[in-house]
Amino acid sequence: MSEPFEPKIVAFVCTYCTYAGADLAGTSRMKYASNVRIVRLPCTGRISPMFILKALQKGADAVLVSGCHPGDCHFAQGNYHARRRWTVFRALLSFTGIPEQRIRFSWISAAEGAKFTELINNLTEDIRKLGPFEQYHELQTVIETQATY
Amino acid sequence: MAKIGVFVCHCGENIASMVDTANLVAAISEHPGVEICLEYKYFCSDPGQETVKRAVREHNLTGVVVAACSPRMHEQTFRKACAEAGLNPYMLELANIREQCSWVHTDKEEATEKAIEITRSLVEKVKRNNKLYPISVPVTRRAMVIGGGIAGIQAALDIASAGREVVLVEREPSIGGHMSQISETFPTLDCSQCILTPRMVEAVQHPNITVMTYSEVEEVDGYIGNFTVKVRRKARYVRMETCTGCGDCIQKCPVKKIPSEFECGLGNRSAIYTPFAQAVPNVPVIDRSRCTYFKNGKCAICKKTCQIDSIDFDQQDTIETIEVGAIVVATGFQVQNTSLYGEYGYGRYKDVITGLHFERLASASGPTAGKILRPSDGKQPETVVFIQCAGSRDVSKGVRYCSKICCMYTAKHAMLYAHKVHDGDTKIFYMDIRAAGKGYDEFTRRAIEEDHAGYVRGRVSKLYEENGKLIVRGVDMLLGRPVEVAADMVVLATAMVPQPDAKEFAKIIGIGYDEYGFFNEAHLKLRPVETATAGIYLAGACQSPKDIPDSVSQASAAAAKILGLFSREHLEREPVVATVSDSTCAGCWGCATACPYNAIDQRDITDRNGNVIKRVASVNPGLCQGCGTCVSFCRSNSIDLAGFTEKQIFAEVMAL
Amino acid sequence: MGIQEQYRSEAAGLLSSGAVKLVIGFGEGSTVERRRPVFVRTPAETERLVLDGGCVANLSTYLLTEGLLSDGKSVAVFLKPDGIRSINILAAEAQLNPEQVVIFGFDIEEGQVRALEGRKASDFAPVIGVAKAAGLSAELQKEAELLDQISAAERFEYWKDQFSKCIKCYACRQVCPMCYCRRCIVDVNQPQWVNTSSHTLGNFEWNIVRAFHLAGRCVACGGCDRSCPVNIPLRLINHRMAKEVLDAFDYYAGECAEQKPVLATFRQDDPETFIL
Repeated sequence: MSEPFEPKIVAFVCTYCTYAGADLAGTSRMKYASNVRIVRLPCTGRISPMFILKALQKGADAVLVSGCHPGDCHFAQGNYHARRRWTVFRALLSFTGIPEQRIRFSWISAAEGAKFTELINNLTEDIRKLGPFEQYHELQTVIETQATY
Repeated sequence: MAKIGVFVCHCGENIASMVDTANLVAAISEHPGVEICLEYKYFCSDPGQETVKRAVREHNLTGVVVAACSPRMHEQTFRKACAEAGLNPYMLELANIREQCSWVHTDKEEATEKAIEITRSLVEKVKRNNKLYPISVPVTRRAMVIGGGIAGIQAALDIASAGREVVLVEREPSIGGHMSQISETFPTLDCSQCILTPRMVEAVQHPNITVMTYSEVEEVDGYIGNFTVKVRRKARYVRMETCTGCGDCIQKCPVKKIPSEFECGLGNRSAIYTPFAQAVPNVPVIDRSRCTYFKNGKCAICKKTCQIDSIDFDQQDTIETIEVGAIVVATGFQVQNTSLYGEYGYGRYKDVITGLHFERLASASGPTAGKILRPSDGKQPETVVFIQCAGSRDVSKGVRYCSKICCMYTAKHAMLYAHKVHDGDTKIFYMDIRAAGKGYDEFTRRAIEEDHAGYVRGRVSKLYEENGKLIVRGVDMLLGRPVEVAADMVVLATAMVPQPDAKEFAKIIGIGYDEYGFFNEAHLKLRPVETATAGIYLAGACQSPKDIPDSVSQASAAAAKILGLFSREHLEREPVVATVSDSTCAGCWGCATACPYNAIDQRDITDRNGNVIKRVASVNPGLCQGCGTCVSFCRSNSIDLAGFTEKQIFAEVMAL
Repeated sequence: MGIQEQYRSEAAGLLSSGAVKLVIGFGEGSTVERRRPVFVRTPAETERLVLDGGCVANLSTYLLTEGLLSDGKSVAVFLKPDGIRSINILAAEAQLNPEQVVIFGFDIEEGQVRALEGRKASDFAPVIGVAKAAGLSAELQKEAELLDQISAAERFEYWKDQFSKCIKCYACRQVCPMCYCRRCIVDVNQPQWVNTSSHTLGNFEWNIVRAFHLAGRCVACGGCDRSCPVNIPLRLINHRMAKEVLDAFDYYAGECAEQKPVLATFRQDDPETFIL
């Protein structure tokens, strides 16, 4: 039997809530799948849709975008702006055939290490079942073949 | 060429037991641009930091990545070490291979692979870091306090007593605010005027405080440390410099039957007046809309009466421009317009009054000289009904919040009434008694136990007049039966609402407000005194309903914040701020609309002759807090955030 | 007098009085049905103006020609309601002063042209109100729903096929009144967010980014769709975005010149159905 598929997950998080929540998972020695790579941003307001596309290009099978709960943003409003952007961008991705299961959004506070742990584990498990996002990654291989000549 | 130094920390066993650090070092050493990669047991220790510093110096490193714990833990430590070694402290990144790797994983191979990826991606990021320097903003060490109620007075006194200049702006003819209208204060029942008036006098006499009464803020420009405020000084038609406050003009003024705002219409004032006897400053104003002279050019009795010729009908409003470094907004509240409560008959029945009316009736200096007399016929009411939450906690009236002070002042009113009318009877309809505060619950107990306040749990459904009595129909929820009281007077504990022009004012000054018009704090829990606009602070009931102790506390807190700001001539700020590319900005102002801090202005780019070529966005580094919301909005990628630039994030992601 | 003649004579009047310096309208095209933009600067030239069922293009895009409005003089332009909405958006985004734009408003119903009353963009608020109330194009909605019904993987294949045709000619960008940036994100190479050679990944990214940038700004004039030389159904993707902002935020692009950009504003009670 071949090796089970291990998805690659990229998480874009704000430093004040979700990054701190992930740190808390660590200090509490909770355990979660090692498939996630975290990119730290000051605020969810800073997370532009291009980040998600680039992560997919680099082989991510799923992307997580996460920040402070509404009302808790360190910058007061960044997450509200982000939520609008996500609503629109998610609809766009879905319409162009990028499955909603692969692009996840969450609110995780600095106190929610357990929520972070659970979310990463569930997401990893979901994507394991869903399989690699080959459709998108194939677009990338076209570039690489073109780049060789 | 990038020369990056990577320092892999074992954190004792914390990292080394789950990440194969030798492997990590081997992999990273191969990475393009990595000049040196070292591992050590504790890089945060003194010898560890020395190792980093030595490497920076010996290898002329252009960037440093410390693969260790969370940046939330030791970013500052290593920034300092870099700076000490002569490297710009912002040329550092921490690769979090402890909290987000070794501590949360159980497979060493996987954890090592992840640690390599994390470190590699931060090496790519740090290659694109820019040297950043703290932003220095000059500070004008003078404060403005807007609103001369107890909160504003307290803030002004605290700042002034610490040696800084304060301009206290009040739009009414006198400072004092709502507290000056109150008879006695809970939970001590000391007279409000007695404790307030000395503060008012202290403020006006303080050498560091300039009091501007009958004045309104019209325009606020600038940013923390550097505000320019335009204040309209309304024409008083009385010369402040010469008036002695003798009051002869007030006595002689023939237009006397004007309902007094201060007395809530329960008493009258003349056309030239001071709002109340203890007004500070004790200089009258002429109410232009009521004055006979201003109506038809006749009368001028006040002018003739004044022995020192202080009446000046030709006075004009003046605009003063004042430079300040910080602003306290203490603009207070209003009492809700009770006409919303048709079922309680306010406005229809003279003897249905608000809590504030009751304060005036109970006040020794009030229209009845402290006797509780009902407005309709001046008789002493034998039965008084108090209705709590008349407006508050009522979605249908648009006020979902608790006004916080009503439970206490209603208990106080019942006590004052009991003290003044010994055989009187009170009924208080309430939803809950909220008496959280020092001495508060004891106070309400006292009202019930010693002064026989008749609390009835339930709402009033109907109120009507019959045979000279106000029939109050409600329900006693605890007994589960209807109640009917024939009252002589009804007092509504009306909601505390924002000033009617609060939203417009918030726009002028550039701060946020909630759905009601209460001003927004920067963070409800952790920054309750600041607003989202740096340099502007809140005090008192303009933020949310508050009682006197809370208002005073917040005012002192705002003063402390400002004194901290004023402790230095320059304010140093983190250089994580946005910058605009002038050449590509399309000037759509989406960034300015999105910015939570109003930190983005328009800037004209002109040619040599001063003709505007284009208009671009421009970030004020004094206001920008570095959230980056503008960056993600910008369609042409013309705005970027230092420390988290597009290039940096792109490189970080592409290295994953 | 038909509407064409009426507008011709009004245009001549505006030009001869100096009230406007230029009239942007429609003229004869290369075939009987096609109309092309004409730029009329003298009263005599107004004879070239044509107004009929073939005048479908959104001419507002020409107002953004570098320097055209910088002298403060007015320009008249023939616009359907979609074009008038574009003027409102451009005014809201500070790209033009609506006071400088004189509008010859018209609409096309079943091939017939009908005049719309008003001259300034703000005069047409009732027309736009009616358009909003009528909702987005049912025809486009039907077409978009066909895509919603298939699986995500099939949708991906559909768009991959469509986008693989893209030759990055940027005709869509050129024709669009909303694409006024001096430097488009696709031209940013530090960092190179969008791959510019015309392979499918870059095409995918380009078309997604463009659709996102048009969310809450596209007025469905159809210019990009018509101008695409390889017939990518851009109308569908733009329609989907318009539907999203309307459904989620009750936002109808170009309602008035004071409308704030949908993605630069928010409400605390914005819908939130998908956030974990």
